[in-house]
Amino acid sequence: MQTEATPAQADVSELDLVRRCQDGDSEAFDELVVRYRTRVFGMIYNMVHSEQDAWDLAQDSFVKAWKSIKRFRGQSSFYTWIYRIVMNVTIDWLRKKRVKAGEAEFDDSIQLKDVDPASKTLPRPDALPSENLEQREIRTEIDNAIAQLSPEHRAVILMKEIEGMQYHEIAETLGCSIGTVMSRLFYARKKLQNLLRDCYENV
Amino acid sequence: MKTFEEKWTAWVDDQLTGNELEEFEASLPDRAAAEAEKRAAKKLGVLLQRELTAKSLLNADFFSHQLRGRIEQDDRHDSPSRGGAGLSVWWPIRRLVWAGAASLAMFIAIAVFVMRDKEPSEPSQYLTQIMGAKLDPANGPDATITIFESKEDRVTVLWTEGLKSLPSEYAAK
Repeated sequence: MQTEATPAQADVSELDLVRRCQDGDSEAFDELVVRYRTRVFGMIYNMVHSEQDAWDLAQDSFVKAWKSIKRFRGQSSFYTWIYRIVMNVTIDWLRKKRVKAGEAEFDDSIQLKDVDPASKTLPRPDALPSENLEQREIRTEIDNAIAQLSPEHRAVILMKEIEGMQYHEIAETLGCSIGTVMSRLFYARKKLQNLLRDCYENV
Repeated sequence: MKTFEEKWTAWVDDQLTGNELEEFEASLPDRAAAEAEKRAAKKLGVLLQRELTAKSLLNADFFSHQLRGRIEQDDRHDSPSRGGAGLSVWWPIRRLVWAGAASLAMFIAIAVFVMRDKEPSEPSQYLTQIMGAKLDPANGPDATITIFESKEDRVTVLWTEGLKSLPSEYAAK
């Protein structure tokens, strides 16, 4: 996982920064925030698709991290730990928002019987994307497609594809089994493949 | 035992090796179509990486500044409540003790008052005067006074006969 600091800096002093934070050193926490703020914000933005909400949720996540940093035992890497907080905050927010809006629960109802593992994934002939399709339009299509996934499926696909995290790291972050992560990844990919066929075929 | 979904995901991510890989590929009904699906999944990954990593945090320094403010504010807010945490634990206990002591004191006071009030009263001054009057032959030489007294009910009845008059200074006040 990349941070705003160089890898060497991160390797040498991250644990040290955490220890200083645990002793109440807020400047050390500032440094950790600088390292992870962009990644955390970007991750949350991809989950909620709103800059203001992503900003607020990132702030909430870091405040929670500061409050609970004394409980960090170093058994996992710091970024897995902070991502766990970020995911808890964001998934919880998404669920509450959904309930408040009175909308139905996320529908991840792609059943195994609906998915033919040998099916060809071809672009729909009547909906070929224009070669001049704007970047923004693609982004909007992707955001709309991701918005149709449940928070857990969003988290899994984003951590795998964007953050490049391993299955076990995702499992640790979300507090579930590796099998669950792989299963969610399977369904999230299938759904996005169906929804974004026109976009990725031109990649 | 891995499920189909787990094996498929591992296969797409090139995580299947050895016998597991051979067995899985052999189990695919249409290998070519599955390979196309795998390529599609990889393309999806590339698309997501290309499009979703571009979002950067504008005003990053302000983000940190605001965060610092929030943390300081939270710390200030938490400090008194941390100090008051012990107090808040003890306060109900102290309050209970005080309330218990006050209740006990009130109970004792009321009990003492009631008990004292229950004690039979002394014969009234009025009775003494009446009886005294009986002995005065000038006021009523043939007068008789009968006393009915119930200490439990705290009632005394004087029944007078033959008393002509009571001296004005004996009148009940």
